[in-house]
Amino acid sequence: MGPHELYFTASLILIIIGIYAVMSKRHIVKIVIGLELLTLGVNLAIATTGLRIIDGVSHVDALAQSMVAISMAIGAAIAALALSLAINIYRHYGTFDVRKLRRLRW
Amino acid sequence: MIQVFILLGAAAAMIVVDSLSRKVGIREGGGIFASMALFSTLILLWVEASKPPQVTTYRVFGSESPLTASLKLDPLSLYLSMIFCGIGLAASIYSIRYMELERETGLDRYYLLLLTLVAGMIGVTLANDFFTLYVFWELMAISSYSLVSFRKWSWEAVEAGFKYLLMSSIGSLMALLGIALLYGLTGSLGFDVLKAALASGRSPAAHLSLALIMIGFGVTAAIVPFHSWLPDAHPAAPTPISAVLSGVVIKTGVYAMLWSLFKVFTPQVYGFGWIIMGLGALTMTFANITAIMQSDIKRFLAYSSIANIGYIITGMGIAAHVAANYSGEFRIVALALAGSLLHILNHALGKGLSFLSAGCYIVRAGTREISSLGGIGLKMPATTTSLGIGLLNLAGIPPLSGFWSKLFIASAGLGILSDISLIAVTAVFILNSILAAGYYLWFLQRIVFKRGAGGYSSEINEAPASMLAPLIALAATSILITIMLNPVIDFIQSALGVLLG
Repeated sequence: MGPHELYFTASLILIIIGIYAVMSKRHIVKIVIGLELLTLGVNLAIATTGLRIIDGVSHVDALAQSMVAISMAIGAAIAALALSLAINIYRHYGTFDVRKLRRLRW
Repeated sequence: MIQVFILLGAAAAMIVVDSLSRKVGIREGGGIFASMALFSTLILLWVEASKPPQVTTYRVFGSESPLTASLKLDPLSLYLSMIFCGIGLAASIYSIRYMELERETGLDRYYLLLLTLVAGMIGVTLANDFFTLYVFWELMAISSYSLVSFRKWSWEAVEAGFKYLLMSSIGSLMALLGIALLYGLTGSLGFDVLKAALASGRSPAAHLSLALIMIGFGVTAAIVPFHSWLPDAHPAAPTPISAVLSGVVIKTGVYAMLWSLFKVFTPQVYGFGWIIMGLGALTMTFANITAIMQSDIKRFLAYSSIANIGYIITGMGIAAHVAANYSGEFRIVALALAGSLLHILNHALGKGLSFLSAGCYIVRAGTREISSLGGIGLKMPATTTSLGIGLLNLAGIPPLSGFWSKLFIASAGLGILSDISLIAVTAVFILNSILAAGYYLWFLQRIVFKRGAGGYSSEINEAPASMLAPLIALAATSILITIMLNPVIDFIQSALGVLLG
């Protein structure tokens, strides 16, 4: 198994754990953690695509690295917004349980 | 190019401008400043659009192609960014009085987010590679999450905002994963390099990336089954923002799908037209049936947005299907895409008008229930006239331009009579158009003629002038486009030249 397969497998595992957490967890902060794991998995996948192995020496693609840096910043902004919404949900409902906030019709 | 930076600069200056104008006693300073920034952007876009059509590209950072991030300016991006900017301007002027009447606070942040939202949408249409597109996409998305949950004192806004954030950011991450796969496959993200590299052969990884990108952008475009955030998020936002979200933000999803389908993945190589067509038929049927059952005026309009996205997607799907299977039928492809692009304009105007008029009723009557708004139309004649023009345009009543866009899509679908799937989708499309026309007229009838609902006091009067001004401007634009349909079609044709090469 080369480094590419290894990193892609790791990112796939992170993505699956993230989607599982978002789908099945009841606690809002745990859902946000799942979203973060999903972001990490996708970032790892981008970084892996920038890895080039030429004659046994690994080179790094600078564009992929800068993409990961920008994507991490975007992910942080989304996490901050999600957590601030979690605080507001707690103020309205007095709970972090996502099952309690089904007042909207689906 | 400079248009995005005017809006971003104005957004950066917003906090200072708002607090300074409050110091000298002008409470509306932020709103006036935002409207001025949007207006000057619209003028600059208009100047660009009046030049002969051409494609310009600019490098943002990175070395020479393919390792670069760049922007483009072509007739298609001009067409869409003018729609985005125009609806943004109408919403911004409308907000000045609306937000005061609703006693909202934190208006400097509100206008800042409105400016970054429009800047993000324009940036998405200007992007010339996938990563620039993704960055502007997230600028737009984060602004709209914040605007949906802007009224954070109400449980509805917070809950809808969280749901929207969760679904939409998972969608964006799926699209980003697809983009990463494309980068791994081809070593570049520039659209022209990608198209050349992907047209040479199909691979399972490229198909997976196509599926991920379609799912990702489809969440923002609110295609069934990824639509369930929309009927909650759009009504929960302040009404001018509902108009922007419903009128144009979902169109960026459509644009990104259209661009990926025709400019990145060649339809002749990746046969996907029938999937898009089927999703379009499913989307409009589901949304039209659900819209009839709504009792809340804003939820009703939100479901009607999903249905209209269904029409646009169907037009796109017909174009991709015909391009993939019938190589000689270039005119049908162009006709279906022209119908989709014209319907983007018609729906933006019509939905902008309906949401902004609904906002006038909500402010005056203090309720969102359709049943308690019965008969309010006669008390506010100017608002009702604008609402009527918007709804008739959406319903596709001839001679309004909404009729022509639907006619284009339907006649493209009936262009090849031997293809059963095309005929079936067109039949569903026509049935849905008739159903939608029926419930728009029924809705208008209830607002205008139904008496004795009594959900509001009897001495309500017309909406204030600065809220009526954008309504009348949008209604006048709808009628003007109907009269001068030919120049608009010519412009759409030059946009199609970019899309189809």
